[in-house]
Amino acid sequence: MNYPVWQLEFLGGGFLIAVIAIIHVYIAQFAVGGGLFLVLTEHLAYRRNDQGILDFVRKHTKFFLLLTMVAGALTGVGIWFTISVLNPSATSTLIHTFVFAFGTEWTFFVAEIVSLFIYYYTFDRLTKRNHLTIGWIYFGAAWMSLFVINGIIDFMLTPGAWVENNNFWSGFFNPTFWPALFFRTFFSVIIAGLFGFMTSSFLKDEELRTTMLRYSAKWLLVPFVLFLASSWWYRAALPPHIEVIIFQKMPQLRPFITLFLVCSGLIILGGLVMAIRMPSGLSRTMAAVMLVIGLMYFGAFEFLREGGRRPYIIYDYMYSNAILKNDLDSVAEAGILNTAKWVEHRHVTPANVQAAGRELFDVLCLSCHSIGGPLNDISRQVRMSSPEELNLIFATMGWERPYMPPFAGNEFEKQILINYLNTTIRR
Amino acid sequence: MDAVSLIPTPDALQVHWFWLHLLLTLTTFLHFVAMNIMLGAGFIAFATPFWRGNDVMPLNAHIAKTLPYSIAFTINLGVAPFLFLQVLYGQFLYTSSVLMAVYWLSIVGLLIISYYAVYIYRLIDDKSGLGRLFIGAALLLLLSVSFLFSNNVSIMQMPEVWLKYFSDRTGWLLNSSDPALIPRYLHFIASAVAIGGLAIALYFEIRKRRGATDGEEWIKLGCNWFMVATIINFGFGFWFLGALPENAYDPATLYGKLFFIMIVGSVVTIIPSVAYAQAGRIIPATVWALATVLLMTLARDILRLTYLKPYFSLRELPYEPQFSPFLVFLIAFVGGIYLVGWMLKTVWNAKEVT
Repeated sequence: MNYPVWQLEFLGGGFLIAVIAIIHVYIAQFAVGGGLFLVLTEHLAYRRNDQGILDFVRKHTKFFLLLTMVAGALTGVGIWFTISVLNPSATSTLIHTFVFAFGTEWTFFVAEIVSLFIYYYTFDRLTKRNHLTIGWIYFGAAWMSLFVINGIIDFMLTPGAWVENNNFWSGFFNPTFWPALFFRTFFSVIIAGLFGFMTSSFLKDEELRTTMLRYSAKWLLVPFVLFLASSWWYRAALPPHIEVIIFQKMPQLRPFITLFLVCSGLIILGGLVMAIRMPSGLSRTMAAVMLVIGLMYFGAFEFLREGGRRPYIIYDYMYSNAILKNDLDSVAEAGILNTAKWVEHRHVTPANVQAAGRELFDVLCLSCHSIGGPLNDISRQVRMSSPEELNLIFATMGWERPYMPPFAGNEFEKQILINYLNTTIRR
Repeated sequence: MDAVSLIPTPDALQVHWFWLHLLLTLTTFLHFVAMNIMLGAGFIAFATPFWRGNDVMPLNAHIAKTLPYSIAFTINLGVAPFLFLQVLYGQFLYTSSVLMAVYWLSIVGLLIISYYAVYIYRLIDDKSGLGRLFIGAALLLLLSVSFLFSNNVSIMQMPEVWLKYFSDRTGWLLNSSDPALIPRYLHFIASAVAIGGLAIALYFEIRKRRGATDGEEWIKLGCNWFMVATIINFGFGFWFLGALPENAYDPATLYGKLFFIMIVGSVVTIIPSVAYAQAGRIIPATVWALATVLLMTLARDILRLTYLKPYFSLRELPYEPQFSPFLVFLIAFVGGIYLVGWMLKTVWNAKEVT
């Protein structure tokens, strides 16, 4: 309403942000758990006086640095870029509400970069004590980044009292802040184990490889119980209507619930299998498979979390199409074409009825629907419904279809949009 | 339809705009310093072998070693000003980003590729053959990223060109109609090469003071790059000035006066910087050069306000005070500086251990 809409058709419907966000969050969580993995493994090397383990830590740090510092950091910037072009209004709300949370997170990010560079390049230069201290500083800064970002991410799902009082702290320490923090912390430890498999499987010394694979397996298996407990806590902390959306009302989310459950079993099973002595080629293949399972596991969770927020982008405050919940009635009265800033066809004539329909589609639907794309393809959905069924969908949006926002325009605009869907899109 | 009606309504600030602008200017300055070092050093590493041949490979080995750091810090130090820019100018920035969305998002991919290219350049021994391909590719991509940033700034500051959206809503717009776009871009690139040259001189000066004996030649080379690029940049600077709207330096307006003072100040500070560099006094040359970068950063801030003056005033931004998050940020900021300082001191004082 306030900003222009980027006409992203094939990659719309959340596909672009899903891809970049899942990759980023997976690597970013590795950056947290992996930091603990590094420093505790270094402790282990000193305790056992084992040069092989220390050399492994050094190699693992190189891999860690190249992955988290480059792909991790830049996909993080990428998320910011992506949300700002896909939903500038929501991004603006987040930035203005949490500017100093983002700023605080940035200071931890600075500490992360400096400490990780120092950690990697000073194995031979610093005393053991100082080197370990730098490692702990890295982990502390990385976990604090998670702490801050967790508050902002979960604010979007459960903004709690912020919706009424607009208070920073109400939004930050929102109803799911603590369970989500524990959930993500334990998950990041599990991911550290998954990446540990990867680098361990490349060790040439069979004895050391088996030792490190078993050691990495513990990083999966030990926190897993705590991870499941925090998952249960997370679910219990969700407001009932969100739980209903995720687990009952949205058939599109069922495959992700199934995937999450299946991957839970596979993670445990895979962790046990990896602890068995096996040839290096097989362990490498298994490690790669485990990494992919971890990515699917986390992806399934992210889809559920994002799905639970529907039809909002910031729950109970701003709908996915950037219309504020409180503005819905006034917008419906005035009409979208009269209210939205970036609309060309304010007066509809027979000559511009399709163009006006397209503008309504852009403002109201494009944030969730792709055109011909892999996610939420509107063409497919329109073709699957008769014109009468399409009318029914519009009549039940926001009520019997609680994952869709109520239609925000007036009756005339509804007919223009339906006409556009039945003609241009159905074609 | 006029451009004013398209400007989105801004959200409320939590502290007075002055604090946010102070943070914006300060962090932009830090970002520019890091960016200049990164881009300038990369440019010099790629360009110098064209006439010096493989003689400069020892220098390139040092540049290769430090480039990943400078990219990391450029990106990191770019995050903070990007944050504060969004808070103060989000209604303009988001709009321009949507208008050029495809190019804007491509920056992420371009940066990832250039970052890995720089790491490969660091890791391979052959800096003259295959190495030049990697540093060349990284440089080309970084120069493209800079051009896209210049474009976004240009579109953001010129709401009058936003109407182009209605003829192309697919995110493929660039602002080729801005006469200041090319000189602005070239001015930035030449600055980067100059500061990159000075950074090379400073790097070897510090090594020299710690006992290294291999840097005299590179100190001279860095200073020469600094001087030549600065002289060329005077040309780009005047071109840029000539392409700006007249009110940008109109002494009858406050912004015009301030802009004029900053530009004159930049010239006044860069001259002693070049002179010190030619005399081999790298530390004072660096101090004066940093003063120039700071003044140019301020000039850029003022220029943005001039461009947006018909549409926007910082004083008009809605304000709903909440100070406690700001306080937490300041504590984290100071704590972060202390922590980083401690880590750097620890490394600086460290001797090789076995």
